[in-house]
Amino acid sequence: MAMKTTDHIIKLENVTVGYLATPPGIKSLIRTRYIVLKNINLRVSRSERVTIVGGSGSGKTTLLRVILGLLKPFTGRVFIHEYDIYRLPWRERVKILRKIGYVPQDPFKSLNPMLRVRDILREPLEARGIRKYEESKIRSLVKLVGLPENVLEMYPEELSGGMRQRALIARALVSEPEVLILDEPTSALDVSVQAQIINLINEIYEKFKPAILLVTHDLSIAQYIADRIVVIENKEIVEEGPVDVVLNNPQSHFMKMAISSYKGSIDRLE
Amino acid sequence: MVLAIVMENLKVGYIIEDEVFWAVKGVDLVVEEGTTLCIIGESGCGKSTLASAITGILPPYALTDGKLKLYDRIVISGQLRNYSDVRGKITAYIPQNPGTSLNPFLTVEDHFYYVLKSNFKSSRDFSKKIAIEILSKVNLNSSVLEKYPHELSGGMQQRVVIALALATNAQILVADEPTSFIDAYLRLQIIELLGRLQRELKKTLIVITHDLLTTSIICDYIAIMYAGKVVEIGPREKVLRNPRHPYTKMLLETTPILGAKKQLKPIPGEPPSLSKEYQACLFLDRCPYKNRECHSDPQVQVIENSHYSKCWKAREAPWL
Repeated sequence: MAMKTTDHIIKLENVTVGYLATPPGIKSLIRTRYIVLKNINLRVSRSERVTIVGGSGSGKTTLLRVILGLLKPFTGRVFIHEYDIYRLPWRERVKILRKIGYVPQDPFKSLNPMLRVRDILREPLEARGIRKYEESKIRSLVKLVGLPENVLEMYPEELSGGMRQRALIARALVSEPEVLILDEPTSALDVSVQAQIINLINEIYEKFKPAILLVTHDLSIAQYIADRIVVIENKEIVEEGPVDVVLNNPQSHFMKMAISSYKGSIDRLE
Repeated sequence: MVLAIVMENLKVGYIIEDEVFWAVKGVDLVVEEGTTLCIIGESGCGKSTLASAITGILPPYALTDGKLKLYDRIVISGQLRNYSDVRGKITAYIPQNPGTSLNPFLTVEDHFYYVLKSNFKSSRDFSKKIAIEILSKVNLNSSVLEKYPHELSGGMQQRVVIALALATNAQILVADEPTSFIDAYLRLQIIELLGRLQRELKKTLIVITHDLLTTSIICDYIAIMYAGKVVEIGPREKVLRNPRHPYTKMLLETTPILGAKKQLKPIPGEPPSLSKEYQACLFLDRCPYKNRECHSDPQVQVIENSHYSKCWKAREAPWL
């Protein structure tokens, strides 16, 4: 039975998560828990834009896997709306998770090379059992993300990095999500394309007002998209607050390092 | 003044499905010994191909034209290429992704041994001695010698790759996107390390990047590449503060800067196809300042000493 909670779209309560691994040698008979994140408490409200920052290997993507219902935590509870998703039967959980649109990290590896863009956009709808989709809806979505209509007949390999990222964003939007989760959406892109994608994410936010959960290690991008920054370091959330407050008065080691690195670059340029 | 690199109308291309794609479309460039040149441009503008030409790691099927001279050695002359005794001895390459560039089956010590053995037939003891010396220059201690690449962090792997490039004492170092695979907060450290090594060891350093902000801080000169051509080159401060090509200006406007929440202005459109020959300016379709004369290929305009631009409007620069 699902548990009731407050009106946050996403809520994590004391989540400790990691992976089961087999150590070498005689100990291989025992599977050991490798903890990646511990005691994570996180809330994302309606139309709130939250950015999760942290170094490589800090567990940012693992946290997304937990929220996306792909990795059950060792302890703690994960709520989408009022539903504790890991206590729901799989079919019920999938229905709830449809409220989330996900844009993965690498646009070059995240699109099925055997499908045309039209079919890539249809897949999430078919997964929901919607066989008759409105062609006009797909076309307006493609237009919204700034792609030409003829892209619908193309395969991913015919698209540039920026176009692939736009197609991924369109795929995430097709099921009209209440939350848009973006995992390093610009890390594989050129600086000129990066600006286009940042502006597109902001346009989508203005139009649909979804909650946005962005994962990045690049603070200069976080400042354009987020209302609130959450910093993960040493397996835990070590700092949390409004963007301007965290950027102007960093408390954690990671934020201090990252900001001094940027300021060092700017000072050297000046 | 000793010239480390001289390019005269250098072209490098590939044949893809019976069509010739010139990734580098006639570059004229001179790099003085002991200086750092940063080559900046979007993906597919030919910067990595140019780096491969300098380092001598072009694939055998690549097409070449024009001339490339490294010190007194002509390595490319038309279709002929001769890199014998150049790779490792005159030029060394710092690859883009340290994680996949190191052999996962070899320890760091083995990497040094095979690099030095192939270049100088060095013994294992001698290569270990050199390795310890070079690793200290990149702020790593000798304990990493016994480690495999997966046991090192991203920043440490990048330092090992830099140390390997330094091991043969090559005069020209080419770093291909040295910061793209490491965390934002480590970028400045790695870039400052490269800059310090270049100054202390008096190397000629070529840095290929699209990270205009962090990477360019160690450079003496910046070359902006667009669709296979260098469209602007000059001293770092002149190019960044007084850009004389609209593409340079637009690249600066599209770069996010922490703390300065300026409006990001993406560059509209896409770069032109590399398979076609153009009579007009290559930036014509994306340029907001185009006029009638832009339909002919712009001549190089001299702005001031060692600052050049390939734009008809470089002198008046209406974008400034």
